[in-house]
Amino acid sequence: MIVNVPNPVIEVHDLTVIYNRKPALWDADFTIPKGKLVGIVGPNGAGKSTLIKAIMGLVPLSSGHAELFGKPLDEVRQKVSYVPQRESVDWDFPASALDVVLMGRYRHTGLFRRISKKDRNIAFECLKKVRMEAFANRQIAQLSGGQQQRVFLARALAQQADIYLMDEPFAGIDATTESAIVDLLFEMRSEGKTIMVVHHDLESAYEYFDWFVLLNTRLVACGPKEEVFTQDLLVETYGGKMNVLAKIGELIRENTFPVREDNSPLR
Amino acid sequence: MDAFWIILTGSLVASSCALLGCYLVLRKMAMVGDAISHAVLPGIFLAYMLAGTRSSVPLLIGAAVFGVLCTFLIELLTKRMRMQNDAAIGLTFTFLFAIGVILATRFASYAHLDQDCILYGEIAYVPFDVGWTLDIGGAIGVLEIPVAIGILSALLVGVIALIWWAYKPLFITTFDPAYAAAIGISTTFWHYVLMGTVSLTTVLSFESVGAILVVAFLIGPAATAYLLTDRLPVMLILAVLIGILSAILGYWLAVWINGSIAGAMATVVGGLFGLALFFSPSYGIIGKHWRKAELS
Repeated sequence: MIVNVPNPVIEVHDLTVIYNRKPALWDADFTIPKGKLVGIVGPNGAGKSTLIKAIMGLVPLSSGHAELFGKPLDEVRQKVSYVPQRESVDWDFPASALDVVLMGRYRHTGLFRRISKKDRNIAFECLKKVRMEAFANRQIAQLSGGQQQRVFLARALAQQADIYLMDEPFAGIDATTESAIVDLLFEMRSEGKTIMVVHHDLESAYEYFDWFVLLNTRLVACGPKEEVFTQDLLVETYGGKMNVLAKIGELIRENTFPVREDNSPLR
Repeated sequence: MDAFWIILTGSLVASSCALLGCYLVLRKMAMVGDAISHAVLPGIFLAYMLAGTRSSVPLLIGAAVFGVLCTFLIELLTKRMRMQNDAAIGLTFTFLFAIGVILATRFASYAHLDQDCILYGEIAYVPFDVGWTLDIGGAIGVLEIPVAIGILSALLVGVIALIWWAYKPLFITTFDPAYAAAIGISTTFWHYVLMGTVSLTTVLSFESVGAILVVAFLIGPAATAYLLTDRLPVMLILAVLIGILSAILGYWLAVWINGSIAGAMATVVGGLFGLALFFSPSYGIIGKHWRKAELS
């Protein structure tokens, strides 16, 4: 079940990534339309992070390629922003929250110019959007996990991009941060941004996203959530993992009834 | 006057090393400095054999080439062969150093290149190799500027210029290489810029102060400054001040105990780190206990 769209903003062709002679991502081929909030869902080790790293050119590709706005990444880098996993950096680094957010402005100012007042203002506005303005000058080691994640998001916002690729922004954060991030993602979508998010939790996934990429090393499905977030496809994605399967059944039931009510006012 | 030149030599080396050391410590690559300082040995002997002279320029080039070769091999073993970083460092530099030792024992009798001098250096001889004289009159009269002071000043200016010019790319590739690559900054390029500079610094410095003191200055002041601040610019400045302080105190310690100057300077580096470890207001052991006691 792969729904292809006309004029996609993200186009992935036959993408294969092999680590240590073992495929991490196998022949993924799909398209994503503009202005969607896309969830990348699948079991552990399904190649979810690998997929967005491959799109960002951060891992060597064994075959295939990705296009953004119909062009190779190098031509449109300014319009694409990436949020790495929070654990991928050393948070004991001697930098403040604002220093990290300012990195999102490096490309705009030029790599060898001093940071301008305008950059500082934009960075501060982005901290405000994630409700972290009070922590601008705090050293990043003194922030909680959720606050660190919000700093990463603010950095991505500071890039003022049109496509955002986020690697597990909901991993290991508190409920306040989760709802703050979700509000922000909805707001970004309403501004026409396209956002792809690697996500672990199936229960919240249906609520957060309107488009899904179901992945289990190979691409199982890609399309609007009503068509793709179905029992059959989720079972296929998660294979024989019983505890997950039971949960999927419940989810489908919960999610199906309200949808039917909405759709049948005339009958 | 000799005391002044020796302390100035130590301070210049300490400043260049401390600045670069901050980046090595933050990149968790502190031992790469050690590796480079040993791996340049075969480069020095090969350059001597090829050029047939003991003048500095060919030796310097030979050493710098092997310094970069060493970082390249370490990078190759960790990235491509998936070897542990510390194992790759240990394997690479002992191998290159061993080749250097063979070359040294086979050809050193002609070369008058002394392994002891390369490893331990002799900072006390710096003032005898006068490069320039300057008549400033007054009480001092003719100033005899040692060659090493000229070279090391130029090096420090170069290192400061690099960090000033490339502050942003060095900062971002050190903190978050994946994000840097995602916005189109080549992490490999900046890795080799930094490692090339470290090689050059090591080679230029250990001619006058010896490899061991170079490693001490690369790691010690940066690690001490790391304990005292949580801003990179402050860390860079503090590391330089700590390095200079180590050179000054080290010289007087050496005079007092009548021992090796390089040894004394390296000892002070360790001593200052120990002080910071205990008494740093934010990260020190005592500070932490005190805050814990306050909370309970």
